[in-house]
Amino acid sequence: MSDAQPSRAGDDTMILAEDVEKWFGHFQALNGITTSVRRGEVVVVMGPSGSGKSTFIRTLNRLERHDRGRIVVDGIELSDDIRNIERIRSEIGMVFQSFNLFPHLTVVDNITLAPRNVRRWPKATAADKAMQLLERVGIPEQAKKYPAQLSGGQQQRVAIARALAMEPRIMLFDEPTSALDPEMIKEVLDVMEELAGSGMTMVVITHEIGFAREAGDRVLFFDAGRLVEEAPPDVFFTSPQTERAQLFLSQIL
Amino acid sequence: MSGALPGDLERASVRVDEEPAVQVAPLGPPLTRAEWIRRNLFSTWFNGSLTVLSGALVLFLGFHFLRFVFVTADWSVFRANLRVYMVGRFPLEHIWRVWAVTFFLAGLIGVSRGVLTPARWTRRRLLVVSPAAALGVGAALYLVRSALVWTLMGVAAATYVAGVAAGRRLGRRLVRPLLVGWLLAFPFVVVVLSFGDVGADRWGGLLLNVIVAVAVIALSFPLGILLALGRQSSLPAISWFCVGFIELIRGVPLLTLLIFGRFVLILLLPPGVAFAQIVRAIFMFTLFSSAYVAEIVRGGLQGVPEGQYEAARALGLSTTRTLALVALPQALRTTIPPMIGHFISVFKDTSLLAALSFSELLFTARRASQAFEFIGHQAEALLPAALLFWMIAFAMSRWSQRVETRVGVGER
Repeated sequence: MSDAQPSRAGDDTMILAEDVEKWFGHFQALNGITTSVRRGEVVVVMGPSGSGKSTFIRTLNRLERHDRGRIVVDGIELSDDIRNIERIRSEIGMVFQSFNLFPHLTVVDNITLAPRNVRRWPKATAADKAMQLLERVGIPEQAKKYPAQLSGGQQQRVAIARALAMEPRIMLFDEPTSALDPEMIKEVLDVMEELAGSGMTMVVITHEIGFAREAGDRVLFFDAGRLVEEAPPDVFFTSPQTERAQLFLSQIL
Repeated sequence: MSGALPGDLERASVRVDEEPAVQVAPLGPPLTRAEWIRRNLFSTWFNGSLTVLSGALVLFLGFHFLRFVFVTADWSVFRANLRVYMVGRFPLEHIWRVWAVTFFLAGLIGVSRGVLTPARWTRRRLLVVSPAAALGVGAALYLVRSALVWTLMGVAAATYVAGVAAGRRLGRRLVRPLLVGWLLAFPFVVVVLSFGDVGADRWGGLLLNVIVAVAVIALSFPLGILLALGRQSSLPAISWFCVGFIELIRGVPLLTLLIFGRFVLILLLPPGVAFAQIVRAIFMFTLFSSAYVAEIVRGGLQGVPEGQYEAARALGLSTTRTLALVALPQALRTTIPPMIGHFISVFKDTSLLAALSFSELLFTARRASQAFEFIGHQAEALLPAALLFWMIAFAMSRWSQRVETRVGVGER
C-alpha cells in the first residue's frame, strides 16, 4: 500500500476506484471495478443480489478492505493506516438498510454521539445541529424518543440525520428503503431527493427507479462482481446495452 | 397454498361480519368464590384429590414450622449472640464506628430510593410491607434488650425515612452528589471501621460477609469487563492470556482458590510484603468472580448486532469509543439479570470463609451453637444466619428487578 496522496484525476473527483478487487475466501466479490464519482454527483448502483454492489460501497469507507487496486476518496488513498481510515469515515456518511440506530440512546443522542466524540463539539453546539437536522428530515418532535418508539421510516430519517451531523462530503446509502413498509418509502426518498438537490455527493444502492430517474446522474449496473454497465438513468432504463441489464430491468420494471 | 387462499379469505371475511373468527372465552359475570374454587381446584377427581393432599401438606408443614418458631424454639442462643452474629468480635468500645456506618448507609440508601422511585403506595404493597415491617419490629423488640440499641435502631430508621423524604423533595438534582456518595461510600466505610487500632482482622459476623461481598463485586466488575474485552482483542498475546486466565480460574473450586490465597500466596509474595488474611481472601475471591463476570459480559457483547459496530465505525468512532459508547452500554444492560444473579452468589459464597476460620456469619452461628449452654439448639442458632443471608440476597434480587425496568426504556 502506498502512502496517502492526492488523486491525479483533478479536483472535481470525490471518489476514484481503479481496478478494485475483493475476495471472500475463494469467492471473488469484486472484479476489476474502475469508476469515479464527481463532486455533487448522485450515482445510483443497481444489480441483482450477490452482484457485489453492497461490497463495493462498503469498500469506499473501508467497512470492507479491498484486496487489489486502489481507492482514493476526497484526495486520500485508502490504506491500512487506521488514522486515515477514521478520518475518511468521518467525512463519509453511511445509511444502512437496517438503520442500525443505537437503541440505548435517544434520537438526539444518536445524532450527537459522533460529533461530540469524534469532532469534539461542545454538547450545546452538537444538540443545536441535531435539532436543525431533525427539522430538515421532518421529525423535530421525536428528538427525545428512543429508536424503538419510532416507525421504520422515522428511524431511517434519524439515521440520515445522524450521518449528516458529521457534515460529510459524501453520503453512501446501502438499500435505505428495502426494509421499509411501502407507505414509508416515500418519506425517506423525499429526504434523499432533497439532499441530492442540495449538491451532496451520493452513492445510492436502490431499486427505486423513480428516485434513480429523478435524482440520479448516473447508474452503475453490477453483475457477478463486475461493473457491467454505466449510463445516465434515462439511457439505462430505456435502452440498456447489455443483455444482463435488459434481463434485470425486465424483472424489476 | 396460494390456490386455497382466496377461498379462505372469503370465508374469513364473511365470518368477521357476524362474529370474531377467533373464539374468545366469554367474559361473563365474574365467578363467585365457590365457583372459582370448583373450577380451578376441583375440576376433576384427580385434581380434587391433589388439592386436598397438597393443602394438607401445606397445613401440616406450616403448623409445625409456626409451632417451632413461636412455641418450641428457644431463641436465646441468637438473642445472647446477636452482636456476634452482626459484627463478630468487633471491640465493644469501638462499636460506635459500626453505628456511624449504619446511619451513613441508612441515609444514603434512603436518599437514593427517594430520588429513584416516586412515592407509590399501592394497597398491595402496603399489604406486603406492613406485616413484614411489623414482624421485623416485633423480632427486634424480642431480641434486643437494650434501650440504647433500640434508640440507635430507631435513629437509623428515622435517618432512612428522612433520606427518602429529602430524596423525593430534591429529586434529580441529587443524582450527581449521590453517585459521588456511592463511589466514596466503600472507602469511607472501610476507613471508619478500621482506622486507629481496629484492624480488618477484627471484623466479623454479617459485617464481614457484606464487606467482602461488596469489595469483591466492586473490584471484579471492572476487572471482568476488561477480561471480556481482552478476550476479544485482536492481539493474540492479550486474548490468549485472558482466555487462559478465565478457563484456569473457572476450572478451580472457589474454596481451593481461597485456601491457595491463605497458604500459598504468601510464598509467592516478595519477603517483607504482607497483607492481612482477609485482603488475600478478597484478592483470590475477586479473581474468581472476575472470570465469571467476564463470561457474562462476553455473552452480552455477543448479543450486540454486528450492525451496531458497523454504524459506529462508519461514523468514524475509534474501536475504544465504539466499545465504550455503543457496545458495552448495550451489553451490560442485557446482562443485568445474570450479573445480579452472580453477585448474589458472590454474597452467599462469602460463607465459604467459614472454612478458613474467618468469623463470618455462618462460622459465628456454628460457634454459637456449639457453646455448652446452648447444646441442642443448633436449629435456633443456624436459622437466623440463613434468614439474614436470605434477606440480603432477596433485597439484591428485588433491586435488580427495579434496575431492569428502569434501564429497559428504549429496549428493542
